[in-house]
Amino acid sequence: MNILDARNITKRYFVGTRQITVLDNVSLSLNEGEFVVVRGESGSGKSTLLTILSGLDRPEGGRVFIAGQDITDLREDDLAPLRNTTFGFVFQSFHLVPSLTALENVMFPAELANDMAAREKAAKLLSRVGLAERTESYPHQLSGGEKQRCAICRALINEPRIIFADEPTGNLDSANGNAVLDLLLELHRERNTTLLLVTHNPEVAGMAERVVNLHDGRIVTDGGHA
Amino acid sequence: MAVMPDFRYIRRQISRSRHQSLVFILCVALSMVTLVSLGSFSRSVHSSLLRDARTLHAADIIIRSRAPFPADFEAAVTALEKENAVESARVYEFYSVVRKVAEDDSLLAQLKVVEQGYPFYGQVKLASGRPFHEVLTSGSIIVEQVLLDRLHLQVGDRLKVGEAILTIADVVVSEPDRPVNFFALGPRLFVAAADLEALDLVGKGSRVSYYILAKVHDQRRLANIAKELRGFPSEERIRVETYRTANSRVKRFFDNLLFFLNLIGIFTLLLAGIGIQSTLAALLKEKEKTIAIMKTLGARSFYIISHYFGVALLLGLIGTLVGLVVSLALQNFLPSLFRGFLPADIGLGVSPVAVGEGLFIGFMVVVLFTALPLFGLRDVKPKAIFGKEEQRASRHGSTWLVGGACAMFFLIMVLLRIRELKTGLYFVLGTGILILAAFFCTTWILRQLQKRDEDPLIFRQAMKGLFRARNSTRAIIVTLAAALTVVFSITLVEKNLDASFIQSFPADAPNLFFIDIQSQQKDDFLKTLGIPATTYAVVRAPLVAINGERIDPEKERGKRGDNLGRTFNLTYRKFLLDDERIVAGKGLFRPDWKEPQVSVLERVLEMRDMKIGDLLTFRVQGIEVSARISSIRARTEKGLKPFFYFVFSKGVLEDAPQTFFTAVRLDKERIAPLQNHIVARFPNVSVIDLTEAVTVFSRIMAKLSTIIRFFTLFSIVAGFLIIISSVFATRHARIQETVYFKILGAKKRFVLAVFSIESLLLGLISALLALIFSQVGSWIICWQAFDLTYRPFIGTSLLLVMATALLVLSVGVGASLPILTHKPAAFLREQSDE
Repeated sequence: MNILDARNITKRYFVGTRQITVLDNVSLSLNEGEFVVVRGESGSGKSTLLTILSGLDRPEGGRVFIAGQDITDLREDDLAPLRNTTFGFVFQSFHLVPSLTALENVMFPAELANDMAAREKAAKLLSRVGLAERTESYPHQLSGGEKQRCAICRALINEPRIIFADEPTGNLDSANGNAVLDLLLELHRERNTTLLLVTHNPEVAGMAERVVNLHDGRIVTDGGHA
Repeated sequence: MAVMPDFRYIRRQISRSRHQSLVFILCVALSMVTLVSLGSFSRSVHSSLLRDARTLHAADIIIRSRAPFPADFEAAVTALEKENAVESARVYEFYSVVRKVAEDDSLLAQLKVVEQGYPFYGQVKLASGRPFHEVLTSGSIIVEQVLLDRLHLQVGDRLKVGEAILTIADVVVSEPDRPVNFFALGPRLFVAAADLEALDLVGKGSRVSYYILAKVHDQRRLANIAKELRGFPSEERIRVETYRTANSRVKRFFDNLLFFLNLIGIFTLLLAGIGIQSTLAALLKEKEKTIAIMKTLGARSFYIISHYFGVALLLGLIGTLVGLVVSLALQNFLPSLFRGFLPADIGLGVSPVAVGEGLFIGFMVVVLFTALPLFGLRDVKPKAIFGKEEQRASRHGSTWLVGGACAMFFLIMVLLRIRELKTGLYFVLGTGILILAAFFCTTWILRQLQKRDEDPLIFRQAMKGLFRARNSTRAIIVTLAAALTVVFSITLVEKNLDASFIQSFPADAPNLFFIDIQSQQKDDFLKTLGIPATTYAVVRAPLVAINGERIDPEKERGKRGDNLGRTFNLTYRKFLLDDERIVAGKGLFRPDWKEPQVSVLERVLEMRDMKIGDLLTFRVQGIEVSARISSIRARTEKGLKPFFYFVFSKGVLEDAPQTFFTAVRLDKERIAPLQNHIVARFPNVSVIDLTEAVTVFSRIMAKLSTIIRFFTLFSIVAGFLIIISSVFATRHARIQETVYFKILGAKKRFVLAVFSIESLLLGLISALLALIFSQVGSWIICWQAFDLTYRPFIGTSLLLVMATALLVLSVGVGASLPILTHKPAAFLREQSDE
């Protein structure tokens, strides 16, 4: 059974009076434990596709199923448990909560899920990614690579079934970018987590088990390496 | 680069920060609204009172005394009458118990015995519409409707007043020289002077106010005649004033009340000033990236500051105009707020001075309170374009300069409004201490909160919110705590007064006072009274010198509070009362001193410093009596038992004209029969039911509290405006938090709970601080000013705290609600666009 199934997704935006179709009848399925890269140029609609697949936004047309459950029309509050335990997110801009320390950022999803071992789990994860000394640092005190490692820990703490990663290396230099990517892949393999990664970088795409190419809001190729 | 301000730029900056601009405008308006409305209203009242001054005094010259006018003074007035310079009328005012002729029913009334001619100006309006002088003839009286209602009488019935039986001829509707009767302990009763002797109520030492009202035929001579009478050598304290210089009781009361309200107005100005500063700082923070870009492109700090000063000035001008409109509108509401305290027909007008004053205050407030955030723009670095971290403002010399200028402005406002250096400095000091205490306590509490990390997730997030960048947490708490302290204090003091006097009149305190018992009546009176009672001799006399240095009564009377310019009740005895103790001296009197001695109550020392051995000189019925201070006494209990400021040793006052009084405790149902019984036998003795007097006092207190609370509300609004401004200033951070929380799986309920608890914490901290400060303040007020044993009213205090917390919660959550609906995807898109 597919962990994610998106059928005929369409998304439009209005810029002033002008209508722009960002996604045009896109269908995509992911298998459990699969590492898929959605690749495309800037403006191809790849980030929009990710937000729709992860329930952060709604399509104008089409349906999205997660483990067989239709999440397309779910209310924000009904999506919350999915975001908390089934999904993990890693963004290009990290999106760490500025008022929380690294440890608190990582703990947060686990605490929301009433996990009594949230603190220990978070500390262990941060230690695993080399941030044991930075647990009490606030996001503005961390480097880009550290922030992204912290964000990956946060995405993984509730052991989600799918990780959505939007250009996770986009804001990092190549050394840090490679390190972050290696970490993501290592954890993906280790936990058999489905990883959907959006990038425009061919090198990153080259590491995927499957690459979906997007152009002007349409899937032009799906499958195989880049 | 051009330095000329670009008005399109200024307009755009305002329109893009509409919410903050609106809060800024409201803060400016708020800063002036109380002072300008009060100033304008005060001018209207004063000009009304001045315009109708003759009517309000019913004469051109008003001469008053607490004792009968000396014969030579009377002769001087008569001489003026004979040369046709003046026309005069004697007026006597005092309280006395009047009773029904046929039944035992009596009532304390405020008697006004007047000669023909009164009033020279204005009219005593009667219910029948007939002229006053035609109705008030010998044998008849005119009374207030309340008296008829309470004694179940009607016009035409007879009433026993003192020893005379007089017929009620009419009902008085209004009298010119008493436009307000809010403070009276009993209804008005007019008696013709021809019946004064028949009343037999004015004995030696009786509490009577003696007046001579004079109409001057040639107004050009007014000042000279007054001067001539004022310079008349008299041993009695006779006050001679013209209608221009005399302060009516209404004006005196109004001035005192206004004095206090002006303090609140200045307090509001200060808090609104904090609001202005914090709102502009938030607005400028929103513009930080724009400013950084301008600097990157080569704009100098002066160019940027001048443009944002333009923004502040334009908003300030709008705020000032809004404030003026609201102030003038408010002025129309004030007469109903002050109803009962002021004449009903006060003419209201918009005075150009008030408008000018409003514009000046508005301008100064904007310039001074925006200076710091504007100077702070120098610290914005071009690297702020990247918006990676919050830039911290540094302190320059200008910070202290602006701070000093703000403090000076505050002080000048206080001195201009209060016109009394000592009180002004006390007020500034008090306000300063309050705000500093609030500041330091808030800082300490916030530090403690910041250390906590063991609380449940929601509480932790809420506390984190308090330390969010741009969150004006400290400014909000300081402002609210300071404003609430005033409101809470008023409530607590009012409650204490209410509890001490009204709800539970002290069980052991006397509730019935019998005054003006003549010496020859004393034994008979005590027998008639039928219950054990102590009588106290009372000799009324002013203090005229201390150690030979003469007291200037005019100067003394100018002081706020009790003063040495009044006539005191002196007594004599050999022993200390049960509720007295000696605080200085070796006993009440010194056996080794042969000269006359006097023991002084500690409270007198608050009026003038005195010490043992000082020689006090009183004028008793024209004779100067000196006595040396042998001891200083203090009262051990605070309550309503009789006490005397000056107690003489035996052998000094015994032969002076004196009356006696006594005070007893009686069950409420026994008061009326005893009053009727005593009055029937001793018509000249006044019976004062203290529980009745306390009801009048309570009514006045309740009304005053309402007025004060109304004006204090404005300072609380300043606190709320800062909360709203703070929510706007942190809008982006709050949306960011909301979105991140949602992405990580939080429900809307969680986010709402976080924001709610954050607001609740703000409200609770502010209210609890205010409660502590107000408990201390109210305790001092009750102890120092009212001599009461203080009760903290824990239940009411907790209710006040809860009500405040709920109010702050509503304002905070209300302002945050639109943020909760923000969709994660939209925010993420905006972020990636930047």
